[in-house]
Amino acid sequence: MAETVKLFVNGREVEVEAGKNLIDALRVVGIEIPHFCYHPALGADGNCRMCLVGIEDGRPPLVPACKTPAQPGMKVLLDDQKIRKIQRDIMELELINHPVDCPVCDQAGECRLQDYYMEYDLQDSRMRVPQVTKGKRMDFGCGVVHDQERCVLCARCVRFTRQITKTGELGIVNRSDQARVTIFPGRPLNNRYALNIVDICPVGAMTSRDFRFKQRVWFLQKDEGICHGCSTGCAIYIDHHREKNGDDVIYRYRARTNMQVNGYFICDAGRLSYKRENENRQDLTLVDGVVVDFEQGIAAALEKMNKARRPLLLVSPDATLEQMWAIKRIATFYGATLSGYSDAYRIDDDGDDFLISDDKAANRYSLELLEIDRDRESFQAALAHADLLVNFDNDLFFSPINESLQRLLGEQDRISVCSHQLPVFSGSSVILPCASPSEYGGSIINRHGVLQRFRRAVRRNADPRDILEITHLLGGAISSAERAWPGIRQSVPVLRSVEPEQIPVEGLLLNNSEERDVGP
Amino acid sequence: MEVKILSARFDIDNAHRIDVARTHGAYRALDKLFAMAPAEVIEEVKASGLRGRGGAGFPTGMKWGFLPKDTGKPVYLAVNSDESEPATFKDRYILVRDPHALIEGIIICCWAIGCHDCYIYIRGEYTSQVKILQAAIDEAYGAGYLGARVAGRDFRLDVTVHRGAGAYVCGEETALLESIEGKKGQPRSKPPFPAVVGLFGCPTIINNVQSIASLPYIIANGAAAYRAYGTEKSCGTHLFGISGHVERPGMYELPLGLPLLEVLENVAGGVWKGRKLKGVIPGGSSTPVLTPAEAATVTLDYESMAAHKTMFGSGGIVVLDETVDMVRLVENLIAFYHHESCGQCTPCREGLGWMLKIVRKLLAGEGTVADIDLLRELCDNIEMKTVCVLSAACTMPVRSYLEKFRDEFEAYALDGGSPQPEQREG
Repeated sequence: MAETVKLFVNGREVEVEAGKNLIDALRVVGIEIPHFCYHPALGADGNCRMCLVGIEDGRPPLVPACKTPAQPGMKVLLDDQKIRKIQRDIMELELINHPVDCPVCDQAGECRLQDYYMEYDLQDSRMRVPQVTKGKRMDFGCGVVHDQERCVLCARCVRFTRQITKTGELGIVNRSDQARVTIFPGRPLNNRYALNIVDICPVGAMTSRDFRFKQRVWFLQKDEGICHGCSTGCAIYIDHHREKNGDDVIYRYRARTNMQVNGYFICDAGRLSYKRENENRQDLTLVDGVVVDFEQGIAAALEKMNKARRPLLLVSPDATLEQMWAIKRIATFYGATLSGYSDAYRIDDDGDDFLISDDKAANRYSLELLEIDRDRESFQAALAHADLLVNFDNDLFFSPINESLQRLLGEQDRISVCSHQLPVFSGSSVILPCASPSEYGGSIINRHGVLQRFRRAVRRNADPRDILEITHLLGGAISSAERAWPGIRQSVPVLRSVEPEQIPVEGLLLNNSEERDVGP
Repeated sequence: MEVKILSARFDIDNAHRIDVARTHGAYRALDKLFAMAPAEVIEEVKASGLRGRGGAGFPTGMKWGFLPKDTGKPVYLAVNSDESEPATFKDRYILVRDPHALIEGIIICCWAIGCHDCYIYIRGEYTSQVKILQAAIDEAYGAGYLGARVAGRDFRLDVTVHRGAGAYVCGEETALLESIEGKKGQPRSKPPFPAVVGLFGCPTIINNVQSIASLPYIIANGAAAYRAYGTEKSCGTHLFGISGHVERPGMYELPLGLPLLEVLENVAGGVWKGRKLKGVIPGGSSTPVLTPAEAATVTLDYESMAAHKTMFGSGGIVVLDETVDMVRLVENLIAFYHHESCGQCTPCREGLGWMLKIVRKLLAGEGTVADIDLLRELCDNIEMKTVCVLSAACTMPVRSYLEKFRDEFEAYALDGGSPQPEQREG
């Protein structure tokens, strides 16, 4: 913790970080101050009035915590009768014109109005006059649906489009209880981060068209993950659920705060990339187009690999550091050529100066660290020369730049270890299904050199195997991510002292200035 | 009882024209002004005891003293001419009948605070008034009182008129600044105060029209001459707009400290048609009402008003005769503040609408005594929980009517005759 100050909350002395407002400073020591409009990324607006706290001997005695920095010796009153009453009164006023349609509201279960009602209000409605009515299910664009009646006018969404995306599509029009969030006529949301609005809306006013009515949030299991949509590696929550007798299905990704990587937000493409985990999966093991047991598939692959004189192994830039290491090891074992050619994962000029990267590969940085060849020419030469290609889930056709390889690939005997049914894998003599990122754990390094570790979140009924496990079945020495590390540490200087279990939640910024100065 | 300081040129034909105004003394304070150091001007204004005439009564010279020194940023003056409070129409007289007093006052203030760019924020509905004001400003530029060299001195001063778009809340000083900056007129949280972070992030003084127009007299005649009027703590004169049920409604300039009832009798001709007095709104719609008994002891100054648990306000006195239905008055009052709430803070945005509906329910004969209690409680729940005092400008007077005229509300509740809605819902 940085510089600290000591102050008193309800008479109890606490030590908190200096320079923060009361909401942020006290949260760290376990004291929650209720609020709707304040968001650390969007600043203090001070409109909801839910965070009013008393300052003993203070002038003024009543202040919004969001706008009040923690000061040494300050005597903050939170439990005081007067403050409890203010919190109840504000909640009552928030709710008088709210439709209280929780049973059909997607926010139910993660709604501050619900939570604060239980915590701070808990009284019957005294509203005996007609409510204010406003717009319902308004299409704001980018998959954001707005309900003006559920809105508490905290203006987080408005501030997001003004301060973060700087696109300014949203505004609050009208005054008084006719005030409402809206778009300009014919000018819907038009930015690549719009669905963050759904995350930051503290109530059910902003919902995602994609997620609406799909699942109640209290059924969702919320695991931490890393987005594999591009080389930024944003921290996410993977929200998934297994229905009785069904398969475990991912319903959504949400942004997870990681100040070292993505701050509070993720892009919409990454957010919706959860669909990739559910759809178009390669579940079956195939040998020469015939469905077989997985073990039979492994046996067929082993036979081919043992016979091959010039095998070529292709690794994916999305693979984890441990998977790459394991593949590198079996390449040595078989005397195979190893390539990490993956130019197709780059989409020029698609990135921006915020989170979206041109490079759609999650872990290209590790390919470099493990000195796996990424050159097109040498891959092409090796492919022409090889008598067997073992492709570990590398989608060479991710973007159309490899059309010239198609013919060459078609002539090649191929084993594909793949998580999805993709054109690049069709025609393989052996197809071994493998796990997709939500179904295994490991380490990846983003484009800025931040090493992050993630754990398995989802367990499918089909239970596809981790690529690392498959390399072990194919004769490799590495049987688990942990067992990969002694070798990795020895061969990669910058990782020499890394203990995977001790990588912080926010990731480890690799101290590798030489490496980082090379290339873009 | 009347005096003629601010209103000295009000009754002179064409006093809004610069030549006429100059013939009758306009811009005569400037020679003296530029002989004084800015700090001396501030001291003189402090010594005069002039208090902000927008309603809050904060000492004007002290306000100027809050400006930080040597920030390297420009200092702005914003003249609050958004006069929108019901029953308040004093600034309009200055704008129309003696705009050059305002311009002369602006020059004095800007010299004192080191400001070269002044904005006059004028109420959007003042359509004819803005034309007269702008014409006067143009004349002042033409005569060399504004522009690159004010009155021939090495002092630049430009004045820009900014028209509001019809929002009462823009009379709140920080909402006014937001509006000038081209944003939605919503009050800012304080601190920081405008004297430190105001217009365009720079130190800014915001003064009412009448405060500024009082300056030429103070500089020309000295603080002592101004203090000769009024009381110890409420110095000088004030424009009182007397309206409602009186024989001679109108605008009167009076020294502060006169007994309210004497003014009503002797200046405004007493309650009209010989009717009985029921109450007096002392200083615009946002000030708590006075009963006839209270009106009998109160004097027209800040201290006496505070002692009677109301406020001096804007000098907009409304006389209510015995025929006034206080419940309908309260409905009208809440309807105004509800309509004008900027909608930023939860209590004001949601609460005033609820209060309005409760009063309308009472008026419809469907209310209960519990509704009156709820109305009373909501005043407490909303007041002072918001960024600005607009909600308090509604709840403070509403509370006063509920406390002083509760029987009238109960009459609606008890004689309405409908069963209680709680029982209906069973």
